[in-house]
Amino acid sequence: MAGLNLVNIRKEYDKGVVSVQDFNLEIRDKEFLVLVGPSGCGKSTTLRMIAGLEDITDGDLYIGEKRVNDVSPKDRDIAMVFQNYALYPHMNVYDNMAFSLKLRKMKKDEIKKRVDNAARILNLEEYLYRKPKALSGGQRQRVALGRAIVRDAEVFLMDEPLSNLDAKLRVQMRAEIQKLHQRLQTTTVYVTHDQTEAMTMATRLVVMKAGFIQQVGTPKEVYDLPDNMFVASFIGSPAMNFFFGKLEGNYFVMGDQKILVPQGRVQTLRDQGFEGKEVVLGVRPEDIHDEPVFLDVSPETKFRAKIEVAELMGAEIILYSQVAGQDFVARVDSRFNVETGQSLDLAFDMSKAHFFDKSTELRIK
Amino acid sequence: MIEQLRKIYPSLLVHTNENGNLDTSYKWYKTAANAIIGIQKAELADKDQALLAAFLVPYDIKFPPMTEDEQRWKKAIDQAEGPADSAFPVLTPYRFIYFSMNKNQITPVFFHEALQELFEKPVPILWENESEGIIIEEGSLSEDYPSYEQMIDILMSDLYVKITFFVGPYQKGFDSIRAYYHSVIRDAKKVFAYSDKTVITYIDAVPYLLIDQADPALRQALGKNVLQEFIDDEDTLKMLETFVQSNLNISETAKELHLHRNSLQYRLDRFFEKTGIDVRQFHQAMPVYLAMLAKK
Repeated sequence: MAGLNLVNIRKEYDKGVVSVQDFNLEIRDKEFLVLVGPSGCGKSTTLRMIAGLEDITDGDLYIGEKRVNDVSPKDRDIAMVFQNYALYPHMNVYDNMAFSLKLRKMKKDEIKKRVDNAARILNLEEYLYRKPKALSGGQRQRVALGRAIVRDAEVFLMDEPLSNLDAKLRVQMRAEIQKLHQRLQTTTVYVTHDQTEAMTMATRLVVMKAGFIQQVGTPKEVYDLPDNMFVASFIGSPAMNFFFGKLEGNYFVMGDQKILVPQGRVQTLRDQGFEGKEVVLGVRPEDIHDEPVFLDVSPETKFRAKIEVAELMGAEIILYSQVAGQDFVARVDSRFNVETGQSLDLAFDMSKAHFFDKSTELRIK
Repeated sequence: MIEQLRKIYPSLLVHTNENGNLDTSYKWYKTAANAIIGIQKAELADKDQALLAAFLVPYDIKFPPMTEDEQRWKKAIDQAEGPADSAFPVLTPYRFIYFSMNKNQITPVFFHEALQELFEKPVPILWENESEGIIIEEGSLSEDYPSYEQMIDILMSDLYVKITFFVGPYQKGFDSIRAYYHSVIRDAKKVFAYSDKTVITYIDAVPYLLIDQADPALRQALGKNVLQEFIDDEDTLKMLETFVQSNLNISETAKELHLHRNSLQYRLDRFFEKTGIDVRQFHQAMPVYLAMLAKK
């Protein structure tokens, strides 16, 4: 197994289009690292530079101790899984998994050993002699994973491997890939645009936007302490709510609504010169409460809102409403019935709220 | 002659399509009768190799030997004028698919072997050089077989190589096959300069090809007159390009760009206010798209 080190990596295409810049990251041995971000943020380009499918314009890439910028992809000891889990249609599962090894003239008994091992890991033993046509979508995706496992590579690179699966299967395969990683302990770099996938699978995640790293951290770190408004809105579903207002005394004021800010936060904002200035308050949907007990103890973060839409999701209800003319989404417990059109009291849990600088969009720490 | 040589070199093999790839532990030659023969390298001293090269043509095993079908297609394309041999048995429409791979990363032999496994029946492949060529597809692809996008992913994971495909338009008959062959290669090279997609069909390529024909003055004027003050606003141009590529669908574009629908509406309204162009209308979106291509 091996870690990876990306030092000052930059990718510039012809005609000066820069896709990735100033990318510095150490990926630890056995880590499951997820690159996440919207379309065009440079996450797939980064993965393909690691794979050797794209040239690196500037910077150094190390796999283990070895600088591999000029090493051919086939010699980098990596295995790749892509979005399309299509297989060779004429070949059965065994041959699909064995094909890349046959191309490399590996001995038959070694190929058999590796394919049998991958089939056992992926519970594909009883399907080895079936053609792809006779497999379900999930089984085909497992074969695609098997095609990577047989390489016995130092590093797995996965580019949106679940995005062509339906929602139910995606959840199932998410767990399968995690189990696989726990079992094989192979360093894995996984690319996705789906923040749920990133949050649930990553040892650490890297949030990217427009070619730059926005934040690196464990899912919990990134969720609880987002470095900027982009990360705060990208990670979490429904996204964090942003309220634009001013800090006046101990209150965050938006229109005629005043919200009490905890003393420690007020001090931090004051120390950094935000007193009387416009700031952005970030509150996650689950930190907006309607439970009577919470409302009783939070009289100064409470406000009244008319619910425009209430979506019952089962254990919770997603509420869409406005306060001081600004849209927000709340996620509340479905034990307390809320219906569309109803007016009710809600309160922010300000101990979990964040403040952002309106001009730089950075979190005020 | 082959039998005489076999007496001297017992390892001599005659290559047929049935015995698959050419073994790299053999030295391969082409005879005057176009047979491909191989002799184990261990059996050949330098002197033997020099002697054999005097009356046989050393066969480059980077390229797979041409099948009969490939030879027929090549002959048809190489004919300067007029229709191909009337014995050429193609009844269905056909199309040429240009492919390109990173240089020096895999041999054509590997690519050929892997690619053939993705089609219903063997497909003729004509190589331009070690990293480019044309696949000849007769009839249409069956739904049970991978799309060209899927083929790229399969081949990338097996061969570790970046591949692009340009899918030419369907043709019937052979009257202009030579011109068609060269136009597919020429068009492919043009369109991949404009787009970073890995699979581009001829229909997708039409706007690129049109813009490529425009003279520099017209291209400059298009950018200036259509995009106006947004000509260097990369964020707006990215938004407009995504909007066109998402079939002018607000929700899809917003999702793709990770923007709120309202923010996108606002930005489209702003573009309309400043330029007078409502890109929600197809006939107004098209010139904007062409102007963006002209700028590339």
